[in-house]
Amino acid sequence: MEEFLLDTINEIRSLKGLSPVTSLQPEMNLRNDLGLSSFDLAELTVRIEDKYDVDIFEDGLINTIGEIFSKLSE
Amino acid sequence: MIFLYDDEEYTYDDLLSTVNGSGSYYPLFKSKELFPYFANLVKALAAGLPLTLIDSDINPHEIDGLSEDSINAAVAFGEKTYGSVDDLICSLRQSPSEITIFTSGTTGQPKKVVHNISTLTRATKVGEKYAGQVWAFAYNPTHMAGLQVFFQAFENKNTIVNVFGKSRDEIFRQISDRQVTHISATPTFYRMLLPFEQPFGNVVRVTLGGEKSDQHLYDAIGKIFPNAKINNIYASTEAGSLFAAKGDCFQIPSAIRDKIRITDNELLIHKSLLGSSESFHFTDDFYHSGDLIEWVDEAAGLFRFASRKNELVNVGGYKVNPGEVEKAIMELDGVRQALVYGKKNSILGNILCADIQLEADSQLTQLDIRKSLASQLQDFKIPRRIKFVEELSLTRTGKLKRI
Repeated sequence: MEEFLLDTINEIRSLKGLSPVTSLQPEMNLRNDLGLSSFDLAELTVRIEDKYDVDIFEDGLINTIGEIFSKLSE
Repeated sequence: MIFLYDDEEYTYDDLLSTVNGSGSYYPLFKSKELFPYFANLVKALAAGLPLTLIDSDINPHEIDGLSEDSINAAVAFGEKTYGSVDDLICSLRQSPSEITIFTSGTTGQPKKVVHNISTLTRATKVGEKYAGQVWAFAYNPTHMAGLQVFFQAFENKNTIVNVFGKSRDEIFRQISDRQVTHISATPTFYRMLLPFEQPFGNVVRVTLGGEKSDQHLYDAIGKIFPNAKINNIYASTEAGSLFAAKGDCFQIPSAIRDKIRITDNELLIHKSLLGSSESFHFTDDFYHSGDLIEWVDEAAGLFRFASRKNELVNVGGYKVNPGEVEKAIMELDGVRQALVYGKKNSILGNILCADIQLEADSQLTQLDIRKSLASQLQDFKIPRRIKFVEELSLTRTGKLKRI
């Protein structure tokens, strides 16, 4: 699951001309640390939903990697 | 003289004898066979009788108020015979019949619209110069576009070649064997004929209607049909045929100039041009067509169709015209067809999606497509979810099915 998330985020980053990150830490902020815009986050939710059938933003804002991990382990 | 090719061959004499055959007809006819359908249509109209046109695969539950018992129930009206095909055509042209047709129901229940011969044949031209034309029939015969082609062909005693719902190979075989001269179809139909393999020089007129087309498609059509003049028609279930254009630039004809208004870029049509329907809402006697235009030269009255109002997708506050994005995608080498649509998303409201059908030998990836689009389109117009599909579904009227 962590690998899928890392690959997906890196793909999104590369399309914006950002270099890949080497690993994901739970405290990383999606917008501030990973440079993701609303559009990027929307894409991330859809790709996660296609794979895991979970809409991570369903219950409200998610700001960090750690929050995504928790949502997917529920 | 051949009237129709559809698996079998039917002459105009066959049509005349079928119409003269009995003193009854079907006010509500559901049939997969085109000849009986046309014969019933002609018979009803020539005799001034009312008719309701329903798709051969319609489920009665899809339409409010449609009683299953009345479908294919014959009604007697007494003897009426015609001495010649010309007599038949003459009676049809003066018909007082009320003809009920339905919208294709892609956005909810099909809506009922009642027309008469004058609204249905507003654009039909009859005369010597229209003799001998051979029409590929590429539309659903129970909807407005199909009716436009039917009347044009029938009133000039032309030949109709049915290609609606046929495979690509069959369509080409018919175009060649029957020496088709005229084709009218949706852009989606023409795209399904690609890629170019061989030219058909016998086609002299290609008409597109029902959806927006683009230069890329015209160029492709120009290769398959090198001797054809290409034009676009604007017709709707509500109004019948209203404008024709060379290429995709339309101009409001002076005859109806005062009956057409453009407000907030939407085309408004005066009620005198429409059939009648309970579902029409008028503002000052004008009907909102739901079609958005963009001016090419406002002073000269030249415009292009931009999109359907309800097709615009709100993505993160930006309104995206799916047609514009589809066009950009289809201009990429290796793409055959594309459908762009919105999917509900908790962050942006809608996220833009694209279903893409690639050419057989294409190696294009999602990333390739997104990178190419990034140099053409603003970020919010680029689909964030791309799926490659084998084929795209169509509506009853041969247009791309929009979710």
